[in-house]
Amino acid sequence: MGLVRYLQHWLSGIGPALHVTDFVPQSDPIRQWADTFPWDALVNAIEQSFAKRFPKTSTRGRRPVPIRVLLALEVLKHELGASDDDICRQLRTDFAVMYAAGLREYRINPSQDHFVLPTTLCEFRGRIDEALMDELIAIQAAAAMEAELVSPAHLVVDTFPCEQGSQRVTDATTLYKAQKKP
Amino acid sequence: MRSFGRSCRGQGKVFVKLVRQTEQQLLDVGKDITTLGQQAQTCLEKTTTLRETQRERLREDLTTAMRHHEHIRQQSTHLTQGKKLRHCKVVNAYDPTIAPILKGKSNCPAQFGRKPGIISEPATGFIFANLTPQGNPSDASYVLPLIDKVIQATARVHHGPKRSIHSLAGDLGVNDPVLRQALHERHILSVGIPKTVEPITPHPSAEEIRDILNEANLQRKRTPYQVQLACASGSSRPVVESHIATLLSRGAGTVRYKGLEGAVVQQGMTVMSYNGAVLVRIRQRKMTKRAQKFRRLLGLKYPKVSKIN
Repeated sequence: MGLVRYLQHWLSGIGPALHVTDFVPQSDPIRQWADTFPWDALVNAIEQSFAKRFPKTSTRGRRPVPIRVLLALEVLKHELGASDDDICRQLRTDFAVMYAAGLREYRINPSQDHFVLPTTLCEFRGRIDEALMDELIAIQAAAAMEAELVSPAHLVVDTFPCEQGSQRVTDATTLYKAQKKP
Repeated sequence: MRSFGRSCRGQGKVFVKLVRQTEQQLLDVGKDITTLGQQAQTCLEKTTTLRETQRERLREDLTTAMRHHEHIRQQSTHLTQGKKLRHCKVVNAYDPTIAPILKGKSNCPAQFGRKPGIISEPATGFIFANLTPQGNPSDASYVLPLIDKVIQATARVHHGPKRSIHSLAGDLGVNDPVLRQALHERHILSVGIPKTVEPITPHPSAEEIRDILNEANLQRKRTPYQVQLACASGSSRPVVESHIATLLSRGAGTVRYKGLEGAVVQQGMTVMSYNGAVLVRIRQRKMTKRAQKFRRLLGLKYPKVSKIN
């Protein structure tokens, strides 16, 4: 039996999947936070918007990263105060982040769902427009109202200033500036 | 070189020569864009192989490119022809939607950026909608678009009682008679918006309630109980500062993404993340006694803790 288990990857290829929920307790803050979102409705809204604005011309190419993963990473990034690189790296190692991203199984030979490049996240973000962003927030608010957790009866309105941040200096920007120099 | 404000608040200087050189390159590159853009639009209309969505997207791209060049050209004209620089007008040639976000401070450099607005529930801090406009419009202009967004969100609720906005609170910045009238026409009490610096009475008498309803002409639409809650909500309006502080702690105070579209996405994602944390607090009943009382008065329930999502 021990030998079979040892050779399992050769015999069956990928071996058994680890259940992510087994490693993320219900009291985990990221799990509790992720459970508040109406993910299905949010993903449907994004898919409809993208299908309308960016129609697919070909079915060829690599299988895309699921929108559920990208959306969760983008929102979770603001919750954890992480950068694109950090959150993509955490997705590979942190089971709680995998749970938030909707990945419920982890295999030793991971599928492409598990690997998200920061540039992919940036492209996804670039496709979100104001109307879609408003729709996503409205879906979240509607789900909270439907669960009778919040009420819009008495509201308060205010504004706040936010300054324009500086551009992050990366290898790419340094190279770009160097090439532009005469 | 032009300077803004006092030297003790930082240098605040703009190198006009550098701006001229940079802008001249852009203007040289894009001087033919108007002609080329019009020709491209004509070709686009004649093309039959493209689908309508693609055609629309290309048309938008062309219009945007032509508009941006026109804006840069205008700014460059203001800057390079020896005219006096109008205060807070030329900000960023590459992002014309940025505006000075502090008004009335003539003695110090203006802070440039954006001014998002939020509309939230005072008890828990749940943000129903946000708005990141272009430039720095008046605070009163935020209110009706935000209310429209909340109404759109309530229209998505299919179960339970019909939700409506009873009252709105704000600071003196939204004290506008036209806005009050517009709110009353939508059956929304404006008692939470102060007219003076005096604080709002949290417990109005019966006569005051009657006067409030008569003034808003909402006798048949809103009940005295709703007016009492509106006054309590208006009295605790400064709690919105804590909502804003929490948003700022999540990085909403600095826009990292490019352009107005980037700012909209960043603020929206921050609001969604913040709302998730608020809902966790509600489920765990980690709220102030004031918030708990307000929720009880509104008849909101707590979810079952043992329920597994």
